[in-house]
Amino acid sequence: MSTPPRKPAEAGRPLLEVSDVTLRFGGVSALTDVSFDVAHDELFAVIGPNGAGKTSIFNCLNGVYHPQAGRIRLDGVDIMGRRPAAIAAMGVARTFQNLGLFTNLDVVENLMLGRHHLMRTGYFAGAVWFGRARREEVAHRARCEEIVELLDLGPYRSRPVGLVPYGVQKRIELGRALAMEPRLLLLDEPVAGMNLEETEDMARYVLGARHELGVSMVLVEHDMHLVMDIADRVMVLDFGQVIATGTPAEVQNDPAVIRAYLGQAS
Amino acid sequence: MARPGTLLVTRPEQRLRLLPTNWYKAFVILLAVVWLTVPINLSDAWLDVLARCGVAAIGAIGLNLLTGYTGQISLAHAFFIAIGAYTAAWLGVRSDLPFLLWLPATFVVGALVGALFGPFALRVRGDYLAILSIGLLYIGQHIFVNWTSFTGGRPGTSTGAPAAIGPLDFADLNLFDQAYSRRQGLFWLVWLVVAIVALLARNIVRTRPGRAMQAVRDRDVAAEVVGVSNARYTISAFALSSGLAAVAGGLYGVVALTVSPADFGGAPGLLLSVQYVAMIIIGGIGTIGGAVAGAVVVVAIPRVIEQISNSVAIPFVGPGEPISLFAFNNMIYGALVIVTLVFEPRGMVAGWERVKAYWRTWPLAD
Repeated sequence: MSTPPRKPAEAGRPLLEVSDVTLRFGGVSALTDVSFDVAHDELFAVIGPNGAGKTSIFNCLNGVYHPQAGRIRLDGVDIMGRRPAAIAAMGVARTFQNLGLFTNLDVVENLMLGRHHLMRTGYFAGAVWFGRARREEVAHRARCEEIVELLDLGPYRSRPVGLVPYGVQKRIELGRALAMEPRLLLLDEPVAGMNLEETEDMARYVLGARHELGVSMVLVEHDMHLVMDIADRVMVLDFGQVIATGTPAEVQNDPAVIRAYLGQAS
Repeated sequence: MARPGTLLVTRPEQRLRLLPTNWYKAFVILLAVVWLTVPINLSDAWLDVLARCGVAAIGAIGLNLLTGYTGQISLAHAFFIAIGAYTAAWLGVRSDLPFLLWLPATFVVGALVGALFGPFALRVRGDYLAILSIGLLYIGQHIFVNWTSFTGGRPGTSTGAPAAIGPLDFADLNLFDQAYSRRQGLFWLVWLVVAIVALLARNIVRTRPGRAMQAVRDRDVAAEVVGVSNARYTISAFALSSGLAAVAGGLYGVVALTVSPADFGGAPGLLLSVQYVAMIIIGGIGTIGGAVAGAVVVVAIPRVIEQISNSVAIPFVGPGEPISLFAFNNMIYGALVIVTLVFEPRGMVAGWERVKAYWRTWPLAD
């Protein structure tokens, strides 16, 4: 697997800087003054009880929601207020908690859509086929085949993805995000609804992708074992506020975290 | 016929072949032979029917790009067909531009008008968009009746635009000391355009823009998140679809020689638009071949029934009987839509795939 050439991580500057982001829906505050950084090549996890605002953070990061206050910067560039397609083109990929696959298309076509922003073929070149369209199809399909191999998707390659098992669909979605060659990968509950074996498989694929492609990741997950095993740092949210940030060991022993999860001992 | 080279895929390029096996190549050659020989063997009346089938096939490919591939339901297709017919009359008949100029220009005009309507689809979806698009038909009716300098008003306008490509005048063909009738020439011309449009459309749907259209159809939020702009591809799908509708309209004018608002304004327009929806449902939603097959079936069936009723009396049908021929035709194609949706919702193309799969696995499958 060839790794795309990337700039050496600048020591001082984190890849993603989120500062004081506040998101309100009418009178309800979904996020209040949320701040965190994600370094180059870091696996950063966000955990918290249901409704804590984890998915809302993702929706802010990739432009689906527009926060009322705060700043979000990717490699120093302000990305707040941009459209999702524009942020995707800047190298932010995402998977969905409830799957966002193109169900009538096959695996490779789904992966190729991940590469949409890396390709240039328009209607005219596409209609003519010979020339740019063909060249791009061949080159980008070769890259997609590498991801098919990395995630063991070969047996499902030419089936409409709506017809493959749930666990495989989750994997295809990871593949589509990786096909985007992102700088930052947002994983929204990649193992939700999976059994232990499938969860371990998925963890292996995520770590494999991180190892081979060297991509920074933000992971939202309810499976604590998974988070504590693979995350470099963990941020804990409760009612839209950050209550702790640190290494897995640090947050596990944080009294505020224990209170949020287990309730106040009286 | 299957050699290892065509069954075993060893390089990514092989998956990109338009005609992956020799069977496909043979099929295309067969179609070309049929195209060449049909005009010599059929009567002018049937050639006229088949030319109208070809015109409808172009329009149906356009509608399938919009509805089947991009998921936008429109009943305004007749409006764009009318725009094409009037534009062709204006450029081809009154300005006397050659075929190779007026036909592409017709596409451009249709695409521009379609792109103007496209943004509405960003605000309104699904059934609501279909209702909204009906409005366009009635606005069209008003324009077609009242803008007399462009459309000729209620009586209509003459639309026999030039149909010559270089030295080959398809409206008055003379080849190797042999004269061919206008109907023969137009069959060749129309189906040549069908073949070109089908090939270009097939190429679009298997490359980047076509995948983006399908992404918008399947999951618009996810499409936006992987970098596919919903706005760009919805509007451009409207432009492409309307452009092809206009090309169909322009060729319809050449075949029919005159058009009027009674062909596509208001209620007749709604009927025509619904027929186009029926074509892509019967043929196969989201396939190019299905659009062509569906167009042939929907356009040809009324004529076939007409022919049959001339020689054989169908009970209760015909002049003086309780059911008029027109009503009977509508019942037949209504029944076809219902039968398709119940038994093969993905259309004739899916039925064909099923037959192919059966033979491929025979005698293992039942």
